[in-house]
Amino acid sequence: MFAVELLILVPLVGAALCVGVGRLSARASRLASLGATIASAGVLAFLAAEGIFSGVALEGWRVARDTVPFWDLRIDGLSAPLLALTALTGLVAVLASWGEHNRSSVHHALLLGLQASVTGVFLAADVVLLYVFWEAVLIPMYFLIGIWGHENRRHAAMKFFIYTFAGSAFMLVGILMAVFGIGQTDISMLVSGRTALAQPSLVFWLIAIGMLVKLPAFPVHTWLPDAHVEAPTAGSILLAGVLLKMGGYGLLRLALPISPGSFAHAGIVFAVLGIVGIIYGAALALVQSDLKRLVALSSVSHMGFVLLAISAGTERGIAGAMLVMVSHGLVAPLLFLLVGQLYVRTHTREISRFAGLGVVTPRWGSALTFGALASLGLPGLSGFPGEFLSVIEAFGAWSWPMIPAMIGVVIAAAYNLRAVREVVHGPPAEEWRALRDLDAGDLVPVMLLVAAIVVLGVCPAIVLNMSGDAFATLAELIAGGV
Amino acid sequence: MLSGYWHFTPEVLVVCGAFAALFGGYLPGKDRGAAYAAAGAAALAAAIVAFGGTGGPIVFGQLEPDSVARYARTGLAGLTAVWVLWVAGRGMPGERRREGVALALFATAGGMLLSMAEDLIVMFVTLELATMPAYVLMGYRRKDVSGLKRALDYFVDSILASVIVLYGLSFLYGISGSTAFSGLELEGSGMLGFVAVMLTLVGLFAKVSAAPLRHWTLDANAKAAPVSLAFVSTVPRVAGIVVMSRLILAIAASAPAIGILVGVAAAASMIAGNCAALSQGDLRRLLICSGIAHLGYLMMALAAGTETGYGAAVFYAVAYAVPSMGVMLVVAEEGVAIGDFARLASRRPWVAWSMVLWLLSLIGIPPLAGFFGKLYLIGAALQAELMALVLLAILATLLSAAYYFRIVREMFFGDEDEQVGGAIEPSHAATVALALCAVATVAIGIGAPRLIAALGVRFG
Repeated sequence: MFAVELLILVPLVGAALCVGVGRLSARASRLASLGATIASAGVLAFLAAEGIFSGVALEGWRVARDTVPFWDLRIDGLSAPLLALTALTGLVAVLASWGEHNRSSVHHALLLGLQASVTGVFLAADVVLLYVFWEAVLIPMYFLIGIWGHENRRHAAMKFFIYTFAGSAFMLVGILMAVFGIGQTDISMLVSGRTALAQPSLVFWLIAIGMLVKLPAFPVHTWLPDAHVEAPTAGSILLAGVLLKMGGYGLLRLALPISPGSFAHAGIVFAVLGIVGIIYGAALALVQSDLKRLVALSSVSHMGFVLLAISAGTERGIAGAMLVMVSHGLVAPLLFLLVGQLYVRTHTREISRFAGLGVVTPRWGSALTFGALASLGLPGLSGFPGEFLSVIEAFGAWSWPMIPAMIGVVIAAAYNLRAVREVVHGPPAEEWRALRDLDAGDLVPVMLLVAAIVVLGVCPAIVLNMSGDAFATLAELIAGGV
Repeated sequence: MLSGYWHFTPEVLVVCGAFAALFGGYLPGKDRGAAYAAAGAAALAAAIVAFGGTGGPIVFGQLEPDSVARYARTGLAGLTAVWVLWVAGRGMPGERRREGVALALFATAGGMLLSMAEDLIVMFVTLELATMPAYVLMGYRRKDVSGLKRALDYFVDSILASVIVLYGLSFLYGISGSTAFSGLELEGSGMLGFVAVMLTLVGLFAKVSAAPLRHWTLDANAKAAPVSLAFVSTVPRVAGIVVMSRLILAIAASAPAIGILVGVAAAASMIAGNCAALSQGDLRRLLICSGIAHLGYLMMALAAGTETGYGAAVFYAVAYAVPSMGVMLVVAEEGVAIGDFARLASRRPWVAWSMVLWLLSLIGIPPLAGFFGKLYLIGAALQAELMALVLLAILATLLSAAYYFRIVREMFFGDEDEQVGGAIEPSHAATVALALCAVATVAIGIGAPRLIAALGVRFG
């Protein structure tokens, strides 16, 4: 179905259009980029009407073309929620960089290029195509951080590139071993022919290293705080919103199905890394003086829950991992968006310099409070169901050693509420008496994310219905063991 | 017997182009017109090879215009056309264009014949034809005494390598009693066979500047004009790589030690090239060092000693040369110090983004030529279970990202206050040449699966 390909082509065409009309006016290229993101959301809505979100089996929607080598796309339960997330965060990122005046046409073109590549990762049904898109994601992100980032951008851009490139280089060896061992490049054929692999554990870990760096898991997470803090707002939104999800998606799509037998020893490793990540990320977030770094480190903690949930290896565990990913893909962009809007007005992110913004800028203050509550996992908002499921399932699988994960939840409440108390509450600081509150244009992306967070919090079944079959298939593979 | 001679049409065209350039003084437009005529001849030759058919052995089996040769000859003639077009636009530094262009075309003709060679004698003669003009190109600036001295070094060292190759070839002939590649039989030749193979390979490695005898390339090339280097480090080298791959494949079956020899040289080239490239501030040196590393990746596939490895190596030779030519031509325009590239993105955005494309291809980022090149190289090595070499290649690639990205950083995030030389005169011919390099880098990447299938490589 051509509409599936449009999901990749529309942002790409939009990117070319952005650069093309950028010579006429910056406004034209902004509109072109907004048009492209709305159009790709429209394509997704059309596909939704065709039933891609209704919970199709693992072999759902496919488009393969013989004329283009390795071109093989598929939408199924695993990719559908992440595709929707990509479309939404792509739109939010474009709106968030509406005020970007430095080479704005190239900025928007890169955002769209990034959206196209990430969409490609989630759509690829061929392992070579997946790798192509996987690497293609790096390039626009590198330039987004390096050109439009903050003070220390060059270092952060390089660190981001080297870390993730190193991870994906190992992943490539793993992929090639699988491809040459099995003689297929199609992912579903790789999965069904997996018994031909001589060293499945080696293949698994080579591939998993790439995913763990991307996720990121402790101890290979150190690129993330730098990249997040230095990236421009739109870059942070896409980085937190969808790029990190590629790691979790890759584990579920590629590493585990190709070598489910490795789960026997990988599960415990994932659980340990997950718990360390949860506590370590949360503890670091607790002592940050920079608001953006606090949000960035909270991502490490949340991604720890993804790993913990996967480590349970059950259907509900995998569902929890997906829920945490989607939820974090909404909450983290909201917080980055708000921090970015604050930074534009004040040119600082020092928590200690703010106080009482709830009085001066009530709309911004309420939004930040909402975001913090969602981030700490308040029931009724999107963070709760996923983290709840992941802790329960992990407890079922590993019992009492999972108690430290609960400590992570407590620290999460502490750092989020601390941020709210310092920044929003208290008597307003003199310095920011005249601060401008969010206007209607600023509120559009904020409200989009807020609405999605509430909907997912009240009704997590939306995601579960989309992907139920896929989770069951995966859990069966893992339980089967080989 | 004469039936296959039409296969030489492209080479004849290239030689005609060379003569047209030599006598360019009589052409309209003189010097520049000569270069345009030569570029046209080379481009036409590339088109004829690309769309012409392949065939079995010709000239008593001494040459074989097979699919591998077709790919290599298209690449060689195409690269030369791009280079000459650039020269037509920007000229050779300090001298007339036409002799340089003519020399390049003679080298190309030699290289195209070389990539069809199926015979030791033909191989040696065309190897010399392909590399001799390079000596003159390296010392093209007559008034530059230190450059001339280094060109002489290059000449002497290269001749030494030729003599070593020749010595090795004489043993190969002595052992197997045949000069045809297909007749080379080293089974049971013991130590003598090993020595013969080692001499031949070491000489050939030196010719294409791989380990162990690689230092001379660096010393001899480091002060040459970048435009000369752009040609010498691509076209004759690709031809050398192709024939080396052919020869290795031909003797691999009967000389198992060859895999170890090539593998060790591959590892040494990867390590030495990348480590040396890391600390270079002069882009010529950086690109030469990284070129040694790229040869290491390529030889990793040859170490497999299989048809697959052979096809992958030949594919990579061109996939590496195209972006490398692009980068070197921009170095010829902008300057050889890394600081000369500061803020290129704001001065010449299209050139800067093309540079990014080439550098990414050299690192091996999909979907560019270099990615698929490395994919097939690694694939061939994995099939032969050369796991250690594969891991080394991956680490080496990571290292290479570090130094290639220094250039990207300088172009996009360099210090603005640094005053760099005046604006470059616009030149349509040079712009077209660079654009062709950029398009080819993407096209080879996207067309890679089909190209590699045409080279007869089958995976799985």
